[in-house]
Amino acid sequence: MGILEVKNLTKKFGQFTAVNNISFSVSQGEILGLLGPNGAGKTTTIQMLLGITTPDHGQINYFGKDFFTHRQECLSDINFASAFNTLQGRTTVWENLVVSAHLYQVKEYKKRILDLVSYFEVGRLLNSRYYDLSSGEKTRVNLIKSLLNEPKIMLMDEPTASLDPDVADKTLTLIENIKKDKKVTILYTSHNMGEIERICDRVIFLSHGKIVAEDTPINLTKKITTITLRLTFDAKKQVIAKYLTEQKQQFEFSRENVVIIKTQEKLAPDLIFGIKSREVWITDIDIEKPTLEDVFLQISRVK
Amino acid sequence: MSINRIKAILLHEMFMMRHSFEVINDIVIYPLLQIVIFGFLTLYLFGLNGKTAGGYVLIGTILWQIISITQYSISVGCLWDVWSRNLTNIFISPISIYEYFTAYIISGTLKSLFMFVLASILSIYVFHFNILHLGIINLFLFYINLILFAFGFGIIVVGLIFRFGSRIQAFAWAMIGIFQPFMAVIYPVSILPKSLQVISYLFPPTYVFEAARASIANPGVQWEYIGKAFFINIIFVYLSMMFFDRMFKASKKKGQFARLEG
Repeated sequence: MGILEVKNLTKKFGQFTAVNNISFSVSQGEILGLLGPNGAGKTTTIQMLLGITTPDHGQINYFGKDFFTHRQECLSDINFASAFNTLQGRTTVWENLVVSAHLYQVKEYKKRILDLVSYFEVGRLLNSRYYDLSSGEKTRVNLIKSLLNEPKIMLMDEPTASLDPDVADKTLTLIENIKKDKKVTILYTSHNMGEIERICDRVIFLSHGKIVAEDTPINLTKKITTITLRLTFDAKKQVIAKYLTEQKQQFEFSRENVVIIKTQEKLAPDLIFGIKSREVWITDIDIEKPTLEDVFLQISRVK
Repeated sequence: MSINRIKAILLHEMFMMRHSFEVINDIVIYPLLQIVIFGFLTLYLFGLNGKTAGGYVLIGTILWQIISITQYSISVGCLWDVWSRNLTNIFISPISIYEYFTAYIISGTLKSLFMFVLASILSIYVFHFNILHLGIINLFLFYINLILFAFGFGIIVVGLIFRFGSRIQAFAWAMIGIFQPFMAVIYPVSILPKSLQVISYLFPPTYVFEAARASIANPGVQWEYIGKAFFINIIFVYLSMMFFDRMFKASKKKGQFARLEG
């Protein structure tokens, strides 16, 4: 049984279907990436999972319990972090965290706050007004808030947006650590495909409110069989152009002695040997395999 | 009900007050100014119509602050979090709506009690009028009724904000003023035209203000007025809660609640 189970979740706003009958589950300790272009239904899904938007149809179960009838019980073990969600701007970082700790009934909250503050290196900001912090500092404080109750499941909506690379890397390391040490389940959205490939065990692609792909990041990239072959050569380019035309390949010359060929992965060795057999001296071979970003672009561009 | 979560909102309110001059202005300075203005008007009326009419004005003005401050505390308290885009953080925590409003009733009651004490002292020393002459039991019963009404009114406003967003935020501090003339705060109901008297008696505070005025001439608890105020208040608070529940559900259904964050 999954820590989070979503069945036939649907949400319409008038004639517009934001989320269209989606079902998925997340197991304990798993990090599930929720990807999709803007307007795909990611935010509405997260809002429903947090209980601040009511679905039209469907069921949400956390820890085997119906979310709508066990709201308080479920929310005690859930938390949310987003770069776009802010705390109370007028009050200080410390005051905001104290309030949140009380909302989640955190025991020994002062120690818990100070431990997290120390990890995220925001000790000097404790007495600053939240409003006065930079975007990166606010994101770090939001992350501290989301970890206060040691949640069993965390919903993270682009938590590293606006963080500098060093802090973003620390945040990802922290996410990896809490997953490993505490078996925390995480539902993660980001537009940074590198992050998704690094930390997610599984990815769900949403498009127009529907799940259009679901797999591990590696398996998803395997679904794209096209690779990019970049060959640097020492010969007349007409020889290569003639051969590739005969082979019905898509290609272009980026420089006088560099050709870029988009081809099926399995055809790459034959093409390389074929070009060599035309007395062409290949000085460099570079193969670009498809990334999650390619998968994202491919899915996003399908109407 | 969790004491900790109620305490969280109370701490939140306390921290907000510490950092917001506007709140101090709206719940301390502005009400005190109103009492000072009406207090001097009272002194003026002492000369014209005798002590009773002046007492009516001062009692009404002081008691009105209980409604005004408590409902302001509930509705503007919620708006601060809408403006700061912090409302989601509160409502994705395990807090229940009952805990949330319980905290705001406590907070509103404490703020209005503080103001009431301050206004009473001011009234004694500056305007030579002691509101305690109405009697402790009377004041307690007035207080309960006025807090109940303010709570009911406050949650109606919060319900409207949740449903329609911050574009109707002015209701938080202005809507109560629209109904004030009907509640016969500083004048007896009998002054109103007959048709307006019918409307006036629909509001629980009308009975409280009538009871307060009656107590000046005839000391003691005005049970008939208090009983009616309490009865209507129970119905009003129940209907307010139903209204809020409808608005809150509609807001979450339409996606407005999540969009309150801007």
